[in-house]
Amino acid sequence: MSRPPTPADMGRQGNYAGAVTRLVAFAADIGASWGIFTLALAGLGFAINLVTGKQVNLTSRQILALIAIVIWEFVYFAYQWALGGKTMGMALLGIRVVATDGDPITPKQAVIRTLTLPLSFLLMGLGFIGILLNKDRHALHDRLAKTVVVYSWDARAARLRWLAKQEPVPPV
Amino acid sequence: MSPLPGANRMEQLVESIAERVVNLVLDAIDINAIVGQVDVDGLIDRVDVQKIIDRVDVDEIVSRVDVEKIIERVDVDEIVSRVDVEKLIQRVDIDSLVQQTELGTIIAHSTSGIASEALDVVRAQGVGLDDFTARWVNRILRRSSAEWPKGPEKLLMAPPAPVPPLAAEASP
Repeated sequence: MSRPPTPADMGRQGNYAGAVTRLVAFAADIGASWGIFTLALAGLGFAINLVTGKQVNLTSRQILALIAIVIWEFVYFAYQWALGGKTMGMALLGIRVVATDGDPITPKQAVIRTLTLPLSFLLMGLGFIGILLNKDRHALHDRLAKTVVVYSWDARAARLRWLAKQEPVPPV
Repeated sequence: MSPLPGANRMEQLVESIAERVVNLVLDAIDINAIVGQVDVDGLIDRVDVQKIIDRVDVDEIVSRVDVEKIIERVDVDEIVSRVDVEKLIQRVDIDSLVQQTELGTIIAHSTSGIASEALDVVRAQGVGLDDFTARWVNRILRRSSAEWPKGPEKLLMAPPAPVPPLAAEASP
């Protein structure tokens, strides 16, 4: 493996997460949510075909599909943030959402964060610039929901795991 | 002492005669022949070995034994060379062994170890890129982030205990 966790990564749990990790996690979430949505649509179409015997293409009904995807994305993000403060992508990258004071995120905050997330996109992505510029790495939706994103990855444990797998050094 | 004069000498004479007689008789006896006539098995059958064992203080005997000296006298290589490993393995109940050692769990652990190792590397790369990006943004904006809060106070942990250095890092 090219880069084991280094001492610089140690003790990062609870630190504000950076832009790259958040971006990758978000991309992973979009991929995962679209994948699940597509699979669910295909499954639903197959079930309708089995029951009625008619070939139904759900994706061709664009307005319906748009409404479904918006609802699905809302459920995907809001539910996971409310449940444990992290989505699948965030869990993969080892980050999570908490309240600004460090407490676990409340369901209300999860809903506000999900509803205001598109605002960060609508302003030509300027809502995200705070992740790079602000000292607490707040995006617009973070500010509105009073949340922050922190590292939850235990780099120290990871480093110990990595060390444990290394070959013992022969005595000189 | 005998009251009669010369009685002492008489006693000595009788004793020496008796001694000679006994020696002559013993010489004449074929002990092997006698032992051959004894039914040793029958004799052993009559002995209650358990009672004898019960009367033996094994702890006392063991406490007197110098185990180190005994072990030093044992040629382990010689013993091992005599062992038929193939036969030994055939006698091992592998299924039972697997059940007892939960080999399945060990395999699952090693598989999850590979997955977690891959995750650790991805996360470590992410943290590195986060730092790289933040450093360049600060450089462009000509500001220092040294005094900025690292994260929500509640989540910031005490500094971790020192971790042993990597073998590669330790060597010059």
